[in-house]
Amino acid sequence: MADKKINLTLNVWRQQAGQEGAFETYKAENIDTNASFLEMLDVVNENLTCSGKEPIAFEHDCREGICGSCGALVAGMTHGSHDRTTLCQLHMRSFEDGDELTIEPFRADAFPVIKDLIVDRSALDEIVASGGYVSVKTGSAPEASTIPIEKNFADSAMDAAACIGCGACVAACPNGAAMLFTSAKVSQFALLPQGAPERASRVKEMVDTMDKLGFGNCSNEYECAVACPKGIDVKHIARLNREFIASRTRKKK
Amino acid sequence: MNSTRFLLSSIGQKLLLATSGTIMFLLFLIPHMGGNVLFLFGPDLFNSYAHHLHKLVPIVIGIEILMLASISVHMIIAAKTTWANRKAASSRYSQKGSRERSLAARLMPWSGGMIFAFIIIHLANFKFYEKSKTMLDGHEVYDVYGMVLSRFQGDLWYVGVYIFFMIAVGLHLSHALQSALQTYGVYVPRSGSKIKAASMWIAIGMASTFAIIPIIAYLK
Repeated sequence: MADKKINLTLNVWRQQAGQEGAFETYKAENIDTNASFLEMLDVVNENLTCSGKEPIAFEHDCREGICGSCGALVAGMTHGSHDRTTLCQLHMRSFEDGDELTIEPFRADAFPVIKDLIVDRSALDEIVASGGYVSVKTGSAPEASTIPIEKNFADSAMDAAACIGCGACVAACPNGAAMLFTSAKVSQFALLPQGAPERASRVKEMVDTMDKLGFGNCSNEYECAVACPKGIDVKHIARLNREFIASRTRKKK
Repeated sequence: MNSTRFLLSSIGQKLLLATSGTIMFLLFLIPHMGGNVLFLFGPDLFNSYAHHLHKLVPIVIGIEILMLASISVHMIIAAKTTWANRKAASSRYSQKGSRERSLAARLMPWSGGMIFAFIIIHLANFKFYEKSKTMLDGHEVYDVYGMVLSRFQGDLWYVGVYIFFMIAVGLHLSHALQSALQTYGVYVPRSGSKIKAASMWIAIGMASTFAIIPIIAYLK
């Protein structure tokens, strides 16, 4: 690949926990277009550190698009404007020399800013903890084909399970709702026989927790599905709605 | 989870909105449009329709009470959720792009508010308005046809107002119909959805049908 270098101007949100934040402008100079967005921020941070300034705090871990740690709004788009891409998999070849980019944390009432671009997404963990699991006996792994599962269902459950919990759906939602996330976590079990025993209580508890944590209400505008780096589809939201309605008629715990 | 908590959960409120909206759509908007179309066929048919409608007073009052209940639920839940959504997404981004939400979806609270304002104007114009009488088949009946004519004839401004509000009705419906189905758990895909297309065309069709009455009345 040809080595191309670009220069950018970044307007980055800087904030300490519990304090008011503000944008600060930095130059990102001589950036290799083969670099990822996070690597570009690494370069900026190195320069900030060398000049005695506080580096920009951002969350990251695997840097290969599977862990769900990274994420920020780049020029108004969650993880940048590429389809099915996390911020670490967004590359600098997507930008032009001289571009000015605004970089902001994923915002929602339920996602308080910890520092700069890092937000507290433990609200998503709380939703999962309230029902996003199956109760199984521990011990040796059972024979895989003991429970037959139709391939379509297995595929759809796998699609739902692709959610990495990055929170882009909440950040992109005009209402700050967590419906796509919750629907994926409900669907991955609702579609499988292993999820059947706790089916009704799971959806009720998870929706209840989601409501209590200050997420907004879904208005079916589908911004979440476009923002999702894993391509989670709104069919799971339709399923969540069905599961929630059906939970009224299913056997009580 | 008891019924109250079920209905006041986020999905429960969506169901209340969808259901109250669907009731108004099926029991009010569609019959109202059907009745209005008769205006195009001249005074006798339209006045006879109005006359027969008056004979069904118990049913009409029943439906009116149902509409009042539906609109109250619809507006209270809509105001409550819109408020909560603004709060959940408050003080957000200096720059926020969108790639999916439609204009109709974005304007739902505004088009909804406009429709409510319109209902009040419309009731004042036609329902709580003194009607003259005319003869039909030897009976004395209310001249509803003449009332519509006199309201719009020579008053282009009024025609414009009605068309403007019908655009709000069309916008509201185009998001509402498909959104209600998704809320009930019918999968409405993001792109290439026949349900979305049908929702838009029904909205355009109904808004145009309503809007054509003042135009025809003006031109007569």
